[in-house]
Amino acid sequence: MKNTNEEQEKGSCGEVRAAAGTAEKEKNAFFETYNNRTHIIGRTCTVIVLAALIGAPFLIGLYLGAMPDLGAAGRAFISVGLVWTISSIAEFLVYTPMLGAGGSYLAFITGNLINMKIPCAMNARDIAETKAGTPENEIISTLSIASSSLVTIVVLAVGVAALVPLQPILQSPTLAPAFDNVVPALFGAMSYQYFRKNMKLAVIPMLLMSVLFVLMPSLTSQTSIMIIPSGAVTIGAAFIMYRKKSKEVDL
Amino acid sequence: MLQQLNSPFLYLVCGLIILFVAAVCVIFLVRAYRAGKAIGMDEKKLKRAVTSSMTFSVLPSIGILLGVIALSGSLGTPWPWLRLSVIGALHYETQVAQAAAEAVGIGKLSAETMTPQAFATIALLMSICIMWGMVLTLFFNKSYLKRLGSGTEKPGRSGKKRGAAGFADTAMSAMFIGLISAYLGSYIGAFVSGNGSFTFSGDPTPIIVAVVSCAVMAVLTTIAEKKNKKWIESFSIALSMLIGMLAAIV
Repeated sequence: MKNTNEEQEKGSCGEVRAAAGTAEKEKNAFFETYNNRTHIIGRTCTVIVLAALIGAPFLIGLYLGAMPDLGAAGRAFISVGLVWTISSIAEFLVYTPMLGAGGSYLAFITGNLINMKIPCAMNARDIAETKAGTPENEIISTLSIASSSLVTIVVLAVGVAALVPLQPILQSPTLAPAFDNVVPALFGAMSYQYFRKNMKLAVIPMLLMSVLFVLMPSLTSQTSIMIIPSGAVTIGAAFIMYRKKSKEVDL
Repeated sequence: MLQQLNSPFLYLVCGLIILFVAAVCVIFLVRAYRAGKAIGMDEKKLKRAVTSSMTFSVLPSIGILLGVIALSGSLGTPWPWLRLSVIGALHYETQVAQAAAEAVGIGKLSAETMTPQAFATIALLMSICIMWGMVLTLFFNKSYLKRLGSGTEKPGRSGKKRGAAGFADTAMSAMFIGLISAYLGSYIGAFVSGNGSFTFSGDPTPIIVAVVSCAVMAVLTTIAEKKNKKWIESFSIALSMLIGMLAAIV
């Protein structure tokens, strides 16, 4: 790989093109193998984690001397679980393309997508200036999700270890409003980053969502589901703008 | 009961699962880093992706830690620790745990009414309710990504393909703009009509926090661009959030 790069620099114009072609092919072949292995590793780990998560309550139940009440679990699942099953499907459909293969295996194992992983990966992507759907983007988003997950694991582990002395500070009424507003703080900062490049586009969902939530305030508890129509409208509007732009270029 | 829920055995079970997940993250991190180098990506970029993601994640992680603390009062520490380290999401857990507590008949989520069976049931339900993302990823990730052509897409291969790839990028940004709008819109809605239509008496804090953190972000971005200080970018979100959150206290 390195050799081809060096050749590229030294060679004449024609050679450069030929070398670039081979380099491109080599890169794609390498990336294809990498991607296939990502799927194998990702699937294996997902199966293990799933088994562990479902097994753990039974194991703990065995230790405590009482098994889970499956009837009650079923009833509760119907009342609350179904909503999350639907939102999980939506999350899968929406976030998988954003995160790529490696990133999405990790993100779905480690969770906290909306309040952390997605913005985190988008931020890393912006900093690295990679385009969606490229191998570079796949790598950056995997790096981003993996490091983000590790930080959470470390913070939680340290936090749990220090739980007793930390508890009064973290739960103090003075700090409570700050921690209640992590998500607004996050989206406020992200909004500047995204809106300023796409002001015309951002106006549409912003207006639509504000009006909708003002008229139907009960929907605020369903924000995670409202992301889907909001995103769909924005993508639709972006597509119309995109088509218009490419037509202008064609002319 | 709480003593049992905080026993070393539970710490061991939960700790081992978390350790496994941490190992998985390390494997993915190392593989991606090596692959990035192999396809000729700038190592500086790779490193910055890691550092910026790490600084980015510290504050939300502390927020998640608060979720553990909040739940530890009724469920003990180890289980919420596991739940929020692995697929948990702050806003799900409490709600699921509460619903499960109601279904097993202990009424509300509290240490006094907790029984071993109630705990085992709640724990099971907390696992099951949000495992679907994993299940779907397990079966459909590969085929779904293949259909989208993402990952193996070769930009610039042909005019048509380039158009599709070009729009994929725009569509991702658009989706994200839609997502941010939904949240910001919900804060406005909650403030304007939260306590009855157009009463403007709801909680304005989220709006204030969002505006402050947006303003700080604007200042930091301007500094980063004008002075060409790229490193500021890595910290700008975390810093904006911190100042935004401080605004909630003031």
